[in-house]
Amino acid sequence: MTYALCGLRVASELPLPELLPWVGEDRPADIEVRLGDVPPRLEDPAHAGPLLQAARDGTCLYAIAGVASYLVEGGRRVTVRPWADAGAADVRVFLLGSVFGFLCHQRGLLPLHAGCVEVNGKAVALAGHSGVGKSTLTAAFMRQGFPILADDVTVVDLAAPGGPLVLPSFPRVKLWRDALEGMGIPAGGLDRVRRDLDKFQVPVGAGFRATPLPLGAVYHLRTVSDRRHAGEEALRGAASVAALVEAVYRRMSAFRMGRREAVMAALMRLTAVPGVRLSRVMDMAQLDATAAGIAARHGAGVAG
Amino acid sequence: MTCYHWLASYPKSGNTWLRLSLGSLARGGTPPDFAAVELFAPVAGDRAAVDDMADADTADLTPAEAEAVLPGFFRLEAAWLGGQQLRKVHDAWTLTPAGEPLFPPDVTAGAIYVVRDPRDVAVSLAHHLSTGIDQAIAFMADDGAALARGGHYGSPQLRQRLLTWGGHVRSWLGAPARPLLLRYEDMLADPAAALARAARHLGWEPRPGAVARAVAATRFDTLRAAEERHGFRERAWPDVRFFRRGVAGGWRDTLTAPQAAAIEAAHRDVMAELGYL
Repeated sequence: MTYALCGLRVASELPLPELLPWVGEDRPADIEVRLGDVPPRLEDPAHAGPLLQAARDGTCLYAIAGVASYLVEGGRRVTVRPWADAGAADVRVFLLGSVFGFLCHQRGLLPLHAGCVEVNGKAVALAGHSGVGKSTLTAAFMRQGFPILADDVTVVDLAAPGGPLVLPSFPRVKLWRDALEGMGIPAGGLDRVRRDLDKFQVPVGAGFRATPLPLGAVYHLRTVSDRRHAGEEALRGAASVAALVEAVYRRMSAFRMGRREAVMAALMRLTAVPGVRLSRVMDMAQLDATAAGIAARHGAGVAG
Repeated sequence: MTCYHWLASYPKSGNTWLRLSLGSLARGGTPPDFAAVELFAPVAGDRAAVDDMADADTADLTPAEAEAVLPGFFRLEAAWLGGQQLRKVHDAWTLTPAGEPLFPPDVTAGAIYVVRDPRDVAVSLAHHLSTGIDQAIAFMADDGAALARGGHYGSPQLRQRLLTWGGHVRSWLGAPARPLLLRYEDMLADPAAALARAARHLGWEPRPGAVARAVAATRFDTLRAAEERHGFRERAWPDVRFFRRGVAGGWRDTLTAPQAAAIEAAHRDVMAELGYL
């Protein structure tokens, strides 16, 4: 089966229902996902951590005990060895997470740890660490009718003509049950992200923006515990670079894959895109207002 | 590479006060900056750090899977950062599901364990978590108690297993790091002596007068006033004060006799060993 991901044609032996089917021209696959044997170790890895081994040529071996091992080579080939049920969502969540991040770095694309929405014809990235509320804010935009380009990982193509371009990735948003309930989205009928997590995939459906858009702004989300520290601050110069460095998805992994200079060069080009530090108190009741405020700032009174 | 000093305690036992005092001392006795993004001695195993350093998507890991990553994370971070690193810890000293020490001895340079009368902890914990005192007492007697259990949106920390209050004390005092034991009550009675001991344990040699300046800069009323002005980023709830009373024995005017008796019954041996009974 072939799927579309960031405009790439993905041929996969593993069904990937989270992705849209490929409807473009019939051309050789850009990325192949196969089921097969994966060695327990790389020979002479430059890095060996608890989950990732990386070789000097950028090859990655990623292992989640009890779920699957993944061998990621040349930005083109992923070999998956599931530990148990190959069809389990658990196997796909890491394939479409970290493994996808490694593929991006191998291909010279810049993945940001960010959701991404369309406002007024531009892509607006909502970046931040895990637990900062990227997906809930992305879902708030979705609920207000703004098209979605990505949840959790936003892929930027810096080599594209016309400046940094966001390549749409996943037509789903991952939300914990309490976030779903807070947003009034029924969890019934939704697929779980993993069997043992109370976290669900919300399909974006027709709200998915499947074609690339120029990156208009990066919001760097931060949680503060006191309302007096909430607010927006335009980032410039060194503060902007520092925020972008933190926003790179699988940043240390990329450095370990020998991509440090490439990543830093890409970030320098990204500093031309306006960056905003958005500090907020974690408060479900404020989500819609936050989304509407960002949209208004980019000239959108109404969705789209 | 040994690198970490763990500043460990059960929650609401004076850990943050110690960190602020040590942070002040490290800067020669200047006041802490409550508007700063990161406090001195950040929390061990912060999710963002684990994601980055250990190539992990903790958002998609179960708490047990994330815990299994932590020893490897600490080794990578220690090698990356080098030097002396202080970390705040609320986890008990335990083994991961794989049977490995959560805080690996090979990257541990030392530890300081702060302990506080569990009757005062119960009152403070109830306030901090915005729960009832009876619930706090039950939490402290629950071997499965943990902070940041996971399974929720918007959680910047990984699960931290606490064990019972007494189990927490025993786990750290029996740990290979052989921690320096500081009683909150002694820190209150003679903060300069306590801070000097902590500094010595860390191998620091403060300049003359620095300990006194750091003590003055982190007096409880000073911290309270700073929180009034700037808020405090480690509040569990945006509107619940972090620095509340800062006294020893406050439980006497707050706990009922049955509540105090329940705590004493649950933790009698450890309380007696620490001089609380």
